[in-house]
Amino acid sequence: MNKVEVNRVLPAVGRSILVLWFLLPLVPIAVWAISNRWSFPDSFPRTWGFDGFRSALDSGGVDAFIRSTLLALAVAAIATPLGALAAHALVRGAVRFPTVVTGILLAPLALPPFAVALGLDVLVLRSHVPSTVAVIALLTVAAVPYTTYLMRVAFGAYDIGYEEEARTLGASPALILRRIRVPLLAPALAGAALLAFLVAWSDYVITLLIGGGRLVTVPILVASFAAGTGNDSVVAALSVAAVVPPLVLVVMLARLRRGAGR
Amino acid sequence: MSVELSVHGLTKVHAGQSVAALDALDLTVSPGSCTAILGPSGSGKSTALRLIAGLDSPSAGTVRIDGREINDVAAENRGVGMVFQRPMLFPHMSVLDNIGFAYRAAGESRKRSRERAREYLDLVHLGDIGGRAVSEVSGGQAQRVALARSLAGSPRVLLLDEPFSALDPVLRSEMHDLVRELRATLDQTLLLVTHDQQEAAVLADSVAVLIDGRLEHHSAIAVAYTRPSTLAVSRLMGGMNEIEGRWDGVGIHRSELGEMEVEGVSLPAGPAVLLLRHELITLNDNGIRGVVSDLRPTGFRSVAEVTVGSLAVKVELAAGSVVRMGDAVGLDIPGGARSVVTG
Repeated sequence: MNKVEVNRVLPAVGRSILVLWFLLPLVPIAVWAISNRWSFPDSFPRTWGFDGFRSALDSGGVDAFIRSTLLALAVAAIATPLGALAAHALVRGAVRFPTVVTGILLAPLALPPFAVALGLDVLVLRSHVPSTVAVIALLTVAAVPYTTYLMRVAFGAYDIGYEEEARTLGASPALILRRIRVPLLAPALAGAALLAFLVAWSDYVITLLIGGGRLVTVPILVASFAAGTGNDSVVAALSVAAVVPPLVLVVMLARLRRGAGR
Repeated sequence: MSVELSVHGLTKVHAGQSVAALDALDLTVSPGSCTAILGPSGSGKSTALRLIAGLDSPSAGTVRIDGREINDVAAENRGVGMVFQRPMLFPHMSVLDNIGFAYRAAGESRKRSRERAREYLDLVHLGDIGGRAVSEVSGGQAQRVALARSLAGSPRVLLLDEPFSALDPVLRSEMHDLVRELRATLDQTLLLVTHDQQEAAVLADSVAVLIDGRLEHHSAIAVAYTRPSTLAVSRLMGGMNEIEGRWDGVGIHRSELGEMEVEGVSLPAGPAVLLLRHELITLNDNGIRGVVSDLRPTGFRSVAEVTVGSLAVKVELAAGSVVRMGDAVGLDIPGGARSVVTG
C-alpha cells in the first residue's frame, strides 16, 4: 500500500470504528425496546411487541417525561443567560480576578455530584427550600460551566465591528441587542441551551438526593426499573424514548438558527 | 443639503499609553467636498475616523458638524455613516435587508425599508442581487452593498475607512469610478482614510497627511505632490528625490546639483533638502549632465536613475523611451518640480 492509499484508508477505518463504538450499544437497546420476550441464550427476541412502551406508560412514563422536560427547560432557561452574562463579563475584562472567577464558575465540573448532593441534602431539608426549586438551582450550577465556556468561546470570536456598523446606521443599543447581537450569537446560545438542557435531562444523582425521590424524572424512572429484574424491555423503551426530546430540540434549534434575525 | 465637518484639537491617548495616537488634529471638510486622510499604518488615521463617528471618545478636542459640537451625541444619533475596510455585512440578513437596516433602525416597516433599499441597490449598480444572502455575493459586490447601506442611512457626513484596500486593482478602480459618480449625484461630505496616495488623488479634493498622529500637511492634492510640507509627506506622496544642501533663506538652494531657484518657499537660511518630483523632470541635452546608472520598470513606464557627481536623481521616463544604461543624458528640472523642506 503506498502513502496516498494509507492516507485515504486509515481515516476511513478510524471513522468506521468511531461509528461502531458510538452506535453499536444503541442497537441492543433499540431491539430490546420492541421485544416482548428475549431470554438468554437466544440471539434474537422470541416475541416482538410494544409491551415495554405500554409498561412505561402505565407506570407514569408520560408524567416523568413532562417533569424531565420542564426541569431541563427551566435549567436551560436560567443557565444560558447566566452563562452568557458571565462569559460576556469575562471576555470584556469587566471582572476583577478573572482567573479566580473562572475557577469558581468551572468548579462544579471538578466536584463529584454525589458529594455536593449529599452535603446539600441536609441543608435543603433544614432551610425548607422546596425540593424542586433546590433541584433546579443545583442543576443550574452544574450546567453553568458548560454554558459559560461555550459562550466565552462565542464572545471571543464575536466581531464587535457589526455592532459598530449598526450604530453608525442609527441603531439604538436595544435594537442592536435584538437585531444584531442575539441573532449573531444565536447558534452559540442555542448550543449552550442544549448543553444545559442535556445536563438536567440526564441527571440522576442530584435529582434523586435533593428531590428526595419525590421528583420522578425519566432517569429516576429508568433507574427504578433497572434495579429490578425482568424489566429490560421497559428500561430499553424508556431509554429510546428519552433520546427523542433532545433530538427534537436539536432540530428545532437548527431551524431557529436558520431563521434568526429575518 | 451637505454640511461642513470640522475637528479642533482632536486628541486620543489610548489607555495605558503615553504617546497620543492622534495629537491635536485640526481639520475642516467643507460641505460636499471629499478630504483624504493619508498616512502610513499606525499614524492615527482610523483613530480620527472612530472619534468623528463617535465609536471612541476623544481625550481632548471637539468634533463639529455644521458648526454644532457633537462630542456628547451618541454615535447612533450623529448622522455620521461609516464604511469599514471589511464590508461587515450582517450575515443573518439578505442584501436588501442589510441596505434597509438604517430605515428599520429609524422605525420604518420592513416593506417600506426594502423599497427604499432597492433605490440604493440601483444606485450602486447591483439592482438584481437584493434577495441574495450575504454569503452569496463576491468581495467587490459586498463592498458596494456596504457603501449602499451607509448611504441609505442618509448620513450628513460619510466616513470611508480604507474601504477598497482589500480589493484587487480592477475592482478597486471600479469602486473609485462608483464613488466619483456618487459624489456627482449625492453632494455628500466625505472623509476618506487611505494609505494610498493614488487613491487619494483619484477620489479627494484635498489631502491631509498624518504622520505619527500629527497633521503634517493639508492642501489640495496637486500641492501635496509638488509642495509637501515635510520630508515624510513627500515620501508618502511618492517623492523619490531628496537632495541635501543649503537654503539661502531667499530663493536659492545650493547642492551638488548646483544652484536651484525655488519659488514660494518661506524657510530661514540653513541646511535644507531639495525635493524634485521625478514625474516632472525630463531628459534634455541642454540640462544638468549625468549618466543613467539604473533603469527600473514601473509598469508601462520606467524610472531611470541618473548619476550626477555623487548624487542619484530619479526620473520617470515616458512609455517607449529608448534610454539605456550608461547613456549620458541631460536633466531638465522645471520650477514646478522643485520644493524645499527642512531636513
